[in-house]
Amino acid sequence: MDASSQHAASHIDPKLLARVVKGDHQAFSQLYDQSSTLLYTMALRILGNRDEAAELLQDVYLEVWRKVSRYDVGRGTPVAWLVTLTRSRAIDRLRSRAARGHQKSTDSLDSAQAAHVQDRNPSPFDAQADQEIRTLVGGAMAALPQAQQQALELAYYEGLSHAEIAARLNQPLGTVKTRIKLGMSKLRESLRRCWDQGDHA
Amino acid sequence: MTHEELEEAVPLYAAGALERTERQALEAHLLSGCVSCHTALKEFQSVAAILPFGLSSTPPPRTLKAKIMAARTPAAIAEDAPEKTEPKPSLEPGEWMNHLFPPESASSSWSFGWVLGFAAVAVVTVGAYLAWTSYTQNVTGSAAVQQLQAASEDQTKKVAALQQQLEERDRTIAQIKEELQQRTADSTELKDQLIQRDAELEDLKFQFASRGGTAPAPRGPEDELAALLRVPNAKAVSLNGSDMARQASGMLVYDARTKKAWLYAMNLPECPYGTTYQLWAINDKPVSVGTFHMDSGDTAHLLVGRVAEFSKAKKFAVSLEPSGGRPTPTGPIYLVSQS
Repeated sequence: MDASSQHAASHIDPKLLARVVKGDHQAFSQLYDQSSTLLYTMALRILGNRDEAAELLQDVYLEVWRKVSRYDVGRGTPVAWLVTLTRSRAIDRLRSRAARGHQKSTDSLDSAQAAHVQDRNPSPFDAQADQEIRTLVGGAMAALPQAQQQALELAYYEGLSHAEIAARLNQPLGTVKTRIKLGMSKLRESLRRCWDQGDHA
Repeated sequence: MTHEELEEAVPLYAAGALERTERQALEAHLLSGCVSCHTALKEFQSVAAILPFGLSSTPPPRTLKAKIMAARTPAAIAEDAPEKTEPKPSLEPGEWMNHLFPPESASSSWSFGWVLGFAAVAVVTVGAYLAWTSYTQNVTGSAAVQQLQAASEDQTKKVAALQQQLEERDRTIAQIKEELQQRTADSTELKDQLIQRDAELEDLKFQFASRGGTAPAPRGPEDELAALLRVPNAKAVSLNGSDMARQASGMLVYDARTKKAWLYAMNLPECPYGTTYQLWAINDKPVSVGTFHMDSGDTAHLLVGRVAEFSKAKKFAVSLEPSGGRPTPTGPIYLVSQS
């Protein structure tokens, strides 16, 4: 592992998680360094609030520390596991907040910043090794028709079902389903090249 | 849902866009082992998992790492644990895979308290998962159990009925077996009787053969005699030669059914010209049965005549009479019955 991938979320070594399973504090520290920016970015995008995103991240990492033994390399990359867990917990929090009747405490600056697909300029916070995949995913997302991208983001980042999206957008259910399906399929085609080259984590 | 519909739902599942019931249907389908859907899901989940790379990065607050590292102490975890035990409202894409396999066993190097805490969380989590799983399966599950129980009782009754039938059949078979043994015994007895009769018949044949053993080969009438000997309840009387013809002998056979008497005479001398042999049945007085002639060279002769009351006849005799016979014996006796 070279220096540039030391902090790359896309290059988390499964062996690092194996060390965390054994209670290795240094390994856990490294796992945080490699993944926290990606996970925090996603939590912020879903929750729209910095404090809540930080709270969520704390819960998620403590859960990782406890449940890291559940990670099975056969079922996905370490980053896929972390992203899935974080998204799941963030959506749970979003829903319980909605259930409690709280208004979404949107920080307009955060929202504006996070809601848009990045402009593909390298961010100073990212590890060099992540740049390629960021460019690839950002490009693939940007290449989607606006309607497909919107439907996909409502499902993925807001936790809405296709019926809820159809209601929100005032579109037929079939149309929404097709948009999500097409969007996912196009992303798969775009990103398959990246997987075939083994560039992803 | 058809397989096409389920397959179409895979990308929506990975994006987190399915309704709860649709999600559960697809999960059930995946658990049933559909390879093509499983492969598709893995790809779409990989896509979903890297979507956050497309967001503009925002680093977390600097103080967050220290907070998290400090919160990882066993005490903090234990305090934290109860909060974590509230059941999660839903499973999200990707998590279903975690439930296909049980969690790996906790490492022994972990502190005891940690393990306890983990165990508590694990138990509650598994409980929450089971609750989630049973949420929808409960109703249909208990209905299915009732159905199965009813079916089971039904089957038990059927089995009992079949067993009863089987016992009845067994009894019937035993009865038939007994009857068969009885019949076999009867048939054996009949066989024995038959053998005895055969032996008697042989004996009679032998007796007859020994009586006429010296006779030359009989002519045609022998067949008639053989047939007569086979008649049931035929009576036979032997006749011996008198002083007139010591070499002669005879066999008189009587069939009560037809009232016919056959005389088989052997070695009687040739009748002189103008004479004939006459057979007499003697009761109180002699009654003629018939006449027969012995020519030169004849050694045996068969006479067939009618005897009205054979059983009453005490004696039989053959005498030499003038041609045409006489109403009563007049000539010398040549053959006479033994008793």
